[in-house]
Amino acid sequence: MKEYAVRNLRLCTKDCLCLYVCPTGATDTENSIIDKSKCIGCGACAKACPSGAISMVPHDMPPQQPKDESVVAAMNGLARDKALQENEAKTLAEGMTGGGARLMAAVAYSCRRTAEDIYREAGYMLPQSRNTRKLLEKLAENESTASQAKQLLDRLPCNEE
Amino acid sequence: MKYVCQICGYVYDEEAEGVKWEDLPEDWVCPRCTAPKSAFLADAPPEPAPVRERAEVHTDISAGELSAICSNLARGCEKQYDEESGRLFTELSEKFEAAVPPAESPSVAQLAAAIKRNADEDFAAAKAAAAEANDRGALRALVWGEKVTNMLRALLDRYEKEGSAFLDSTEIWVCTICGFIYIGDTPPEICPVCKVPAWKFEKVGGKKS
Repeated sequence: MKEYAVRNLRLCTKDCLCLYVCPTGATDTENSIIDKSKCIGCGACAKACPSGAISMVPHDMPPQQPKDESVVAAMNGLARDKALQENEAKTLAEGMTGGGARLMAAVAYSCRRTAEDIYREAGYMLPQSRNTRKLLEKLAENESTASQAKQLLDRLPCNEE
Repeated sequence: MKYVCQICGYVYDEEAEGVKWEDLPEDWVCPRCTAPKSAFLADAPPEPAPVRERAEVHTDISAGELSAICSNLARGCEKQYDEESGRLFTELSEKFEAAVPPAESPSVAQLAAAIKRNADEDFAAAKAAAAEANDRGALRALVWGEKVTNMLRALLDRYEKEGSAFLDSTEIWVCTICGFIYIGDTPPEICPVCKVPAWKFEKVGGKKS
């Protein structure tokens, strides 16, 4: 499986061993993000890093786990509720001040996090999945979302038939 | 009798504590996750979850839902260190969010009722479907989501009863991973629901008053 190296900046302690061992200079960049176009996936940097800040990621992700229709239906129902609650809490927060406004803003934010997590387990885990592709193809037909959707379709190869 | 926090699993043992559950003050909170008393249940064998068919099945998808799907996919790209795709999904998510009209005649009571319905019924039904399909990934998300929703229910309950006084001199933190809400001056060392470290919490709103 062809891989490339990624660096977790939170873990990186700048011991710089990755710079010494990289045969192509991919790890040495001004923004600390390993240059994917130079990385040959040898894994030398990940092995040498004393902080465990570099991991190897496959270029092609395996297909996401299939989902049962009944599970997807139940999850979608909950996500729909969370989206409605987020909007209601957000609308409430706009008309409030002080602790009440902060609480409603927190509720809105919390509902979004839960909805996202539910979608992750309802068939939208991978940006490379067939579900995502189908969604992007639909969004590409709509004028207001076409630009982003088309760019994403070009950037993200589908990893399912 | 023992009482168990439905958010983080903390057990309050009346015998060990020497104070009866009903004698604890109403503003007593879970020492581990700050959930209010209403988030605790007496430790009893769990009843089988009711399997409930949803009355309506929606096939169309709203702008609010599309916004959440896209912000989820943005995170999926960021996790793969694909910042540019993440940015594009974030732009889509923001477009959809802007297209959602403000809620019509919103109220805290109505919001609390909707959250309570999820906490009481819908998560249990979804968990039953996930267990039936042996989908442990879905179960994972539902277990977290149910706990977070229980916390929302408890906080809104408290807000309806007491107003915002309990928030006046403290901060509100939200876990950026699972959405757990924590009331306190500093975030907990680890999230009581999803176990991520404190730096994954985000403070909501400006300074406390």
